[in-house]
Amino acid sequence: MSLSKVATALAAALVAVGAAVAAQDAGIPGLRALISDITPPGIDNGVRESDPPREPRPNALDRAIRDPLPFVRGSIIVKFKGGTAAASERAMLARAGASTTMETPTYSDFNIASIDESADPEAVARVLAAQPDVEYAQARYRMHPTFVPNDPLYSMQWNYPEIDMERAWDLNPGATSSVIVAVIDSGIAYRNELARFNAPAWGLRGGPSFPALGQIDVPFAAAPDLGGPDRFVAPRDFIWNGNDPIDLDGHGTHVAGTIGQLTNNGVGTAGMAFNVRLMPVKVIDSLWDDIFRSPNEGTDDVVARGVRYAVDSGARVLNMSIGRTGPPSPVVQEAIAYAVRNGAFVAVAAGNDFEQGNPVEVVAQFAPLIQGMVAVGSVGRDRVRAYYSTTGPYIELVAPGGNQRSGGTAGGILQQTFDLGFVETYTGGPSRYGAPRFDVFQYQFFQGTSMATPHVAGFAALLMQQGIKSPAAIEAAMEQYATDLGPAGRDDQYGYGLINPRAALRGMGLVK
Amino acid sequence: MTRITAILALLMLAPATSQAQTGGDQVTIRGFGDAGVTVFSATQSFKAILGKPNGPLFGGGVELGLPRHLFVSVAASRFRRSGHRVFVYQGEIFPLNVPATITVTPLELTAGYRFADSSRLVPYAGGGVGWHKYQETSAHSASADDVNRTFTGYHVLGGLEVPFSRWIGAAGEAQWGSVPNALGKDPNGVSSVYHEHDLGGFTVRVKVVVGR
Repeated sequence: MSLSKVATALAAALVAVGAAVAAQDAGIPGLRALISDITPPGIDNGVRESDPPREPRPNALDRAIRDPLPFVRGSIIVKFKGGTAAASERAMLARAGASTTMETPTYSDFNIASIDESADPEAVARVLAAQPDVEYAQARYRMHPTFVPNDPLYSMQWNYPEIDMERAWDLNPGATSSVIVAVIDSGIAYRNELARFNAPAWGLRGGPSFPALGQIDVPFAAAPDLGGPDRFVAPRDFIWNGNDPIDLDGHGTHVAGTIGQLTNNGVGTAGMAFNVRLMPVKVIDSLWDDIFRSPNEGTDDVVARGVRYAVDSGARVLNMSIGRTGPPSPVVQEAIAYAVRNGAFVAVAAGNDFEQGNPVEVVAQFAPLIQGMVAVGSVGRDRVRAYYSTTGPYIELVAPGGNQRSGGTAGGILQQTFDLGFVETYTGGPSRYGAPRFDVFQYQFFQGTSMATPHVAGFAALLMQQGIKSPAAIEAAMEQYATDLGPAGRDDQYGYGLINPRAALRGMGLVK
Repeated sequence: MTRITAILALLMLAPATSQAQTGGDQVTIRGFGDAGVTVFSATQSFKAILGKPNGPLFGGGVELGLPRHLFVSVAASRFRRSGHRVFVYQGEIFPLNVPATITVTPLELTAGYRFADSSRLVPYAGGGVGWHKYQETSAHSASADDVNRTFTGYHVLGGLEVPFSRWIGAAGEAQWGSVPNALGKDPNGVSSVYHEHDLGGFTVRVKVVVGR
């Protein structure tokens, strides 16, 4: 069995056990220090296409390091109605069993209230939500990317011809740098640096334990095919509380590639809107962020702050290839509504859990309520809904997200991201476990609604450049010109159909 | 069309009330050139694409003077303006960065009657049928994207001619025409958004007439 097969099997095992892992040394604070920002450029390891496909990451995948619960203990999210007196707020918090002190994070219109670590955040939130002056209260649910990386140029990117992008690029060659697209995700490989982390011991619950690596210096490099420093604007990291949202996963980098990979440059692959500027907003923690004990996780409040930050910082298109299932998330819904009200179009992944009971995807389900936000399902090369793509009344559009069950490895979406052999060092077991590298890149085929969503975000950037500035009008144009698939009219599998960028970019003539 | 044919027949059979300006019972032939402004009935559709619903129109033709003050003319004109394709959402127009050009080329057959020949001012009126070639092209279009169709319509007109000499005169003319069911059929056309179906409109023009 090849090393890659071993890695794949181990990764699958991780998923199978629900990644039910407990930190062996909980309480160790996370360490992250920038050692140098002068490091060698990234290494390009070419295309990876020989490995078998891996399943998309379902929502059922829990944390590998953190508490396996779908929410964070010790605090909840609360928003009081305007004009509520502070004394009244404190009284209501006390009645619900929460601490009377609250934190109001940056880029938020809500508070984080502390509760006892042993208390059930969902129960406390329910009690608080029933109080008369509370607009909403909810637990801090964890979000995660909705894709899965697989293994691995334009001839291999079937996804663009499938949506007639070549003729669309004739009409609008990749937008311009005046359009900023925020990638609300796990970060982006956008710069070179050497960072020092502390890696304590950890282990899979019911599985292998991994030794402490101590303080390790981890190399990072900018993805060679994403462009230079001018390409990125207002980077922000809500996981490590800083302005350096480096990707420790690969998901955000892959997604960013589909939105804006440098194109027609004789290198690698193409992107939808290849002239836009990208805003890396890190709101999702990867396994390595967890191993390094990042101070924050990708919870609802962190995601909501990321959304608000992005639009306040000038982003006009937000890509959210993230999501979760479970209880509602008013905090994220309000943040997205805020973004749309302030002129940003939001594309959200519909979810990959069709075969896990097809649960309602919490973020995507807001889409019909917010004109200017679109929930994106996935189709394969055959234009048929991908086996994993969630269905429901909130599905509005589909885009190519890949289907490696019907199309093999190359049935996924090809973009540049990390060579995962240098990232997922834990998949080889404890004996092969070592410090990761985030400076070695490969072109890899991923599948998931996470991969479909950036097609819509890139499409929105093109429409915005083309002249449609209103998020609601962008959604209307996308839906009006979509290629109807499945039953005639809107349906729960394909929404209004497969995006048709060329038709929407052409718009209306007088007669035709 | 039956109605149009009847109007034409009536005009051609109308009794003479005075001597024909152009030579009594003789048949004469004159040529003319004209320039004018047309305002399309599909006001909103033309405004959305071209920025305004009106524009200049240039043309010319041949007029045959008949006995009993009657005349028949054949005229061709051309309207051509460029704008941008658009997207319309809840009444708001978003011009897209796709240049579009609309060309309307009417070929019109008119029969009419001149009311006087003793005065220096000769009023006239008429009506007829027209064949309106409509062309719509845009940047980066494929052949199937462009529009090149001809529609049939009808018109009535009236004018006042001022002879400067035996050979040269000028006229001011107003025309109303209708080209029904030409627009508003394709859902990707802005005319369907505004439920405008008529390619006709109101035209005022100045003509220079040469000939006896």
